[in-house]
Amino acid sequence: MSALKVLIADDHDVVRKGLKMLIEEHAGWQVCGEARSGREAVEKCSQLNPDVIVIDVSMPDLNGLEATRQIRKACPRTEVLVITHHDSDEMAAEVMDAGARGYVLKSDSDTDLVRAVEALSHHKPFFTSRVTEMFLANRGSRVTDPAEMMRKRLTIREREILQLLAEGKTAKEVAIILGIAIKTSDTHRTNIMRKLDVHSVAELVRYAIRNKVVEP
Amino acid sequence: MSSTTRVLISDDHAFIRRGLRTILEANEQYDVCGEADNGSQTLELAMRLAPDILILDISMPPPNGLEVAAQLRQSLPDTKILLITMHDSEEMLRAAAATGASGYLLKTDAEELLMVALHRLEEGQCFVSPAFDPDLAKQVFG
Repeated sequence: MSALKVLIADDHDVVRKGLKMLIEEHAGWQVCGEARSGREAVEKCSQLNPDVIVIDVSMPDLNGLEATRQIRKACPRTEVLVITHHDSDEMAAEVMDAGARGYVLKSDSDTDLVRAVEALSHHKPFFTSRVTEMFLANRGSRVTDPAEMMRKRLTIREREILQLLAEGKTAKEVAIILGIAIKTSDTHRTNIMRKLDVHSVAELVRYAIRNKVVEP
Repeated sequence: MSSTTRVLISDDHAFIRRGLRTILEANEQYDVCGEADNGSQTLELAMRLAPDILILDISMPPPNGLEVAAQLRQSLPDTKILLITMHDSEEMLRAAAATGASGYLLKTDAEELLMVALHRLEEGQCFVSPAFDPDLAKQVFG
């Protein structure tokens, strides 16, 4: 029986090291690769076809949620386990909307992470008990947030560019990173600002922070 | 007199504690004498174990790392404190220095620079992650 292949994605070396130790202690599990950013995670998923990817929400360049959306499209067999220090109902909902089927807080125990990988390896979802309680309590009563509706209008590419702009990249730098023309980058920026009804880069950054696209 | 340096690790994230422990245990010079996952437990363990070095996360359930550092500088003056954090702002760096801690290590640097930081603290010097302007680091931490 072949080993379970796990890809780890987190921008903190020390977290990746801890996760790797934890996973490789488990017989039959193997860390097939590591990624330091969401973009690298998407690339490595396509190259390595892991069974499970353990991915941090808060990463530079492309955050974990956007990476999850892209991974679920490009590698539908790969199960996504999101790890985060954001303990909020909104984050849990966003994680599931993105297509992840596992959600563990960084403050949860090692045991929870192992249980999560185990569940996902059998294509079963895993959420910590707090998240499960939240969903049972709020089932059917989620109010649609206008900001959330607006966010959903952005394309995948636009959400990528939103994060880069909010991280302080210019349209030219965005173009270089994404391998697109500067004019295309400018057009995307204009479209994003129109869709989100913001009128300056400062407003765009504030929107991105409020909606946890980037960390403050 | 012990030839190993006794280190207490304090972080509310289990994966980070494990990562730090793995790095430290690869070096015979260091002995991880305990782990804590919140500020109160850190204070209790530190007073009981009197480690040579405390690696202390800033963002933890109250009391946070800065509050813990300030208290321990009073009660355990021989324990050197290395703050570890994702916060790369000047404001946080200054707040950290005000507690009397001896070092400030960013989590993005942890694997590469933890040993360097620990050696500096053992030699009685301060350490600040190189992401900060060296002149600022020297001004704030000395």
